[in-house]
Amino acid sequence: MTHPANLLPPQTWKASWKVLFRFVFIYFIIQCVPLDIRYFVGLFHIHWLELSFRDIFYLTRYSPKFVSGNAPFNSFADWGIAAFIALTGTLVWTYFDKARQQYNQLYYWLRVIVRYRLAIGVIAYGLLKLFPQQLPYPSISQLNTQYGDLSAWKIFAMSTGVVPSMEAFLGLVETVAGLLLLNRRTATIGAGVIITFTGNVFMSNLAYEGGEYVYSFYLVVLALFLLSYDIIRIISLLTLEQPTAPNTVRPYLPQPWHRGLKFALKTLFIFFFVGLYGYKTYASYRNAGYQYPKTPGLEHAAGIYNVSTFRINNQEIPYSLTDSVRWKDVVFERWATLSIRSNRYVHPDLADTEEIYTNDADKNYELAGSVSRHYYSYGIDTGRQIIFLQNKNRHHQREKLVLHYIRPDSSRIILSGTNEKQDSVYAVLDKIDKKYPLIEGRRKPLKL
Amino acid sequence: MSDITHSAPATQDTSATVHTTATAITPVKPWKGYQRIAFRIAFVFFIIMCIPTSWNWYTHLFTMDWLHLKYRDVYDIARFQPNLWNIESESGRWGIASYASWLAALGIAVIGAAIWTLFDRRKEYNVLYYWLRVIVRYRAGIGIIGFGYTKLFPVQMPYPSISNLHTNFGDFTAQKIYWLSIGIVPWYQVFAGIVEVLAGVLLFFRGTAAIGAVLLAGALANITFVNFAYDGGVHVYSAYFVLLGLFVLAYDIPGIYRLLVLEKYTVPVHYYPSFKEKWQQYTRYGLKSGAIILFVLILFYLQMWNYLYDPYKQPVTKGLADTQGYYNVTAFRLNNKVIPYSPLDTVRWQHVTFEKWSSLTYQVNKPVWLDLSNGGGSPKNDVDRNFELAGVAGGRRFFFYEADTVKQELVLRDKNRSAVNQGRERQRRNATDRPNTSKKKDPLFVLHYEKTGPRRIILYGLNENKDSIYVILDKVDKQYLLSPGNISAGQY
Repeated sequence: MTHPANLLPPQTWKASWKVLFRFVFIYFIIQCVPLDIRYFVGLFHIHWLELSFRDIFYLTRYSPKFVSGNAPFNSFADWGIAAFIALTGTLVWTYFDKARQQYNQLYYWLRVIVRYRLAIGVIAYGLLKLFPQQLPYPSISQLNTQYGDLSAWKIFAMSTGVVPSMEAFLGLVETVAGLLLLNRRTATIGAGVIITFTGNVFMSNLAYEGGEYVYSFYLVVLALFLLSYDIIRIISLLTLEQPTAPNTVRPYLPQPWHRGLKFALKTLFIFFFVGLYGYKTYASYRNAGYQYPKTPGLEHAAGIYNVSTFRINNQEIPYSLTDSVRWKDVVFERWATLSIRSNRYVHPDLADTEEIYTNDADKNYELAGSVSRHYYSYGIDTGRQIIFLQNKNRHHQREKLVLHYIRPDSSRIILSGTNEKQDSVYAVLDKIDKKYPLIEGRRKPLKL
Repeated sequence: MSDITHSAPATQDTSATVHTTATAITPVKPWKGYQRIAFRIAFVFFIIMCIPTSWNWYTHLFTMDWLHLKYRDVYDIARFQPNLWNIESESGRWGIASYASWLAALGIAVIGAAIWTLFDRRKEYNVLYYWLRVIVRYRAGIGIIGFGYTKLFPVQMPYPSISNLHTNFGDFTAQKIYWLSIGIVPWYQVFAGIVEVLAGVLLFFRGTAAIGAVLLAGALANITFVNFAYDGGVHVYSAYFVLLGLFVLAYDIPGIYRLLVLEKYTVPVHYYPSFKEKWQQYTRYGLKSGAIILFVLILFYLQMWNYLYDPYKQPVTKGLADTQGYYNVTAFRLNNKVIPYSPLDTVRWQHVTFEKWSSLTYQVNKPVWLDLSNGGGSPKNDVDRNFELAGVAGGRRFFFYEADTVKQELVLRDKNRSAVNQGRERQRRNATDRPNTSKKKDPLFVLHYEKTGPRRIILYGLNENKDSIYVILDKVDKQYLLSPGNISAGQY
């Protein structure tokens, strides 16, 4: 039909291309294939009988880590080390592999590895959003925090959290792009979508001071590598408007069992990282997500309360915006969290990477990236009508309060006991019938 | 029209001529019947969508002062969409019925195509299709560049005012939350602007139009979704660009699909008009360079000027010197009676702010009618610039003031137009129709001010209800967790 040379992959590569390929090959193998002993240690710690989406999520987030540090992800220094190893390897490889004419097959398989690595990376985050729980709807405490008392990253999370439909839409785009990578023919389109989508995530991470900019850029680089395979073709067809040959490299699988194995591996992969993981994230979503604690709070108490009366060591303190002891308002969440707004210093907990905790005590999403409120988890002794408060912020962990509660009617709670300084405290809380424009909407005239 | 883009490649020779012009020797393949009908509908439809049908647009175009161009002039040329049919209902404002004009355009297109089909016996529209895409490309490119520059020079979503920083997150409308969340990261806004302007510029050239269309449709699809999700109110105009982008892209999709997904040899076949006459060539270059000069270069300059000296979302008048900040109300007297602080009090001021521009705000525990507009509309007068109060609840009052530094007086005017402005952008159907402040009947009131120290301001006088007030304000050294905006518009 057409000139055969134009359809077949080149059978001899230029020397420079061969050298470049060797480097790229080693570099991306280091970046994508878990060779790190820590990864396997983590793998053995998974309870396979009660496998959680959390376990799979952490499996998908692998990237090599040579430099130890506080960052949960690799840093750009790790990229440099990977590049150095690749460079050394390239020299050795070039010395021993002079006879080689081309790496068409090896290039194909390298792209397979990168495609699958990238696919699980974006699908892992995509499904957390498709079943919207990564960025949950703000808690009552968060709704009652001033804008300037939030970190940029927190504002980003809350601003997305207020519209679950938007979050699901973003998750859908991310998931579909990941799925497109699982097929050779659609991989380039998937890579193109990921470059724009994850490129935007990367920019957001930089702009909003999120902690995952290295990792998101890592995913973008993988996508760029995949797109580079076809970019010349796309420019040739669209911009230069010239006849263009497609990719014709096919995997070389001579034996039937080769093809059987490929099919089995692919199926297993998709089952585990898409099917099983998807099912587990959906189950988590149905079970109210993973960001907020599960333990229920004081019954029918959820809401924001004005502190009408406040006494310390039996001395009444009038309303004040400047006093550092007096409470301004108190929030009971639906779960066992109570937050107090006061003029007392809050050391911010800037949790800016995505972590999935199983224990309520570790779940810090609600307080992360905000100041002006102290957050306490509490246990209830309903018989003695006592709540035991424990400051959730890891910078204020020694603070404990034991408070007796009385509920004269449905809108009033009276707390008395000892505060974190062992002073006696007495507070009358009156529920505020708070209306939020966020919930009322802006479609009808509104007076608030 | 898949057979246009990849008619089977020439059988023996891969280096066959690619740039087939309308007058080339290669015989032109006739289109199928349904393709011709579809094209006629598409032609009429997109002409209605892309050519301004409002008389005001032309009036504006021919009456504006071309020697002293202002940002708003060019922006208003770039910004139009068909306005054929408005449905007065909630859905007509926020939902699916707001696309009624599109439906009307489609109706006209179907009727037009039916008449056209009766009279026309042509077998193909390759060249007309080319011209239709030119029109759509330029319409989309010009429109998105107009938008893009307001982000490239970040004025579309300003950094939150001090009063906004002291508003509870839950006291904003969803729309406001989204806009503020972009406003806090000016560099990100600049990046978004670059993407939009780039998409627009790429659309001006046929070789890069497909890439521009992908960027445009992708970015604007996201914005459309945002507008639905956050009740942003601009869902129709943003979807308009998605539609135009997809139309431009549709031409190239079959080729891309064939090359990448089917993995087949692909030969692009394009029908371009030939410009034989000198005047045709000059006209083409003239129009093209005219569009690029006006909407890429001149608009760049005008928008930069706007960013530097007249950011349209925030007032330009400087605030009273050395007052910018957040204040505690240390003492408050109403008709000489001291009122102690209480979060429940309905008259005592709380949380007072002075902005770097001439706005004074305070909070009272009393509901106010919300300004439910987007805070846009590029009004000329400061008192009409309502971005800081749009979508803000929590009982905060916003005042524009004129300071008389000799008499030490602030003439205050309420910025919230309460009942007038419920849920709608201020009416502004075309460029020349701008709100006129002189007709406003807001009651003015005058407060004396005294600065008794670097951090203390005392205000006294009669408030809008003719009650005497006396207020001592003490500035708070507020540390925000949110990082300050590192590029900000305006000169203050």
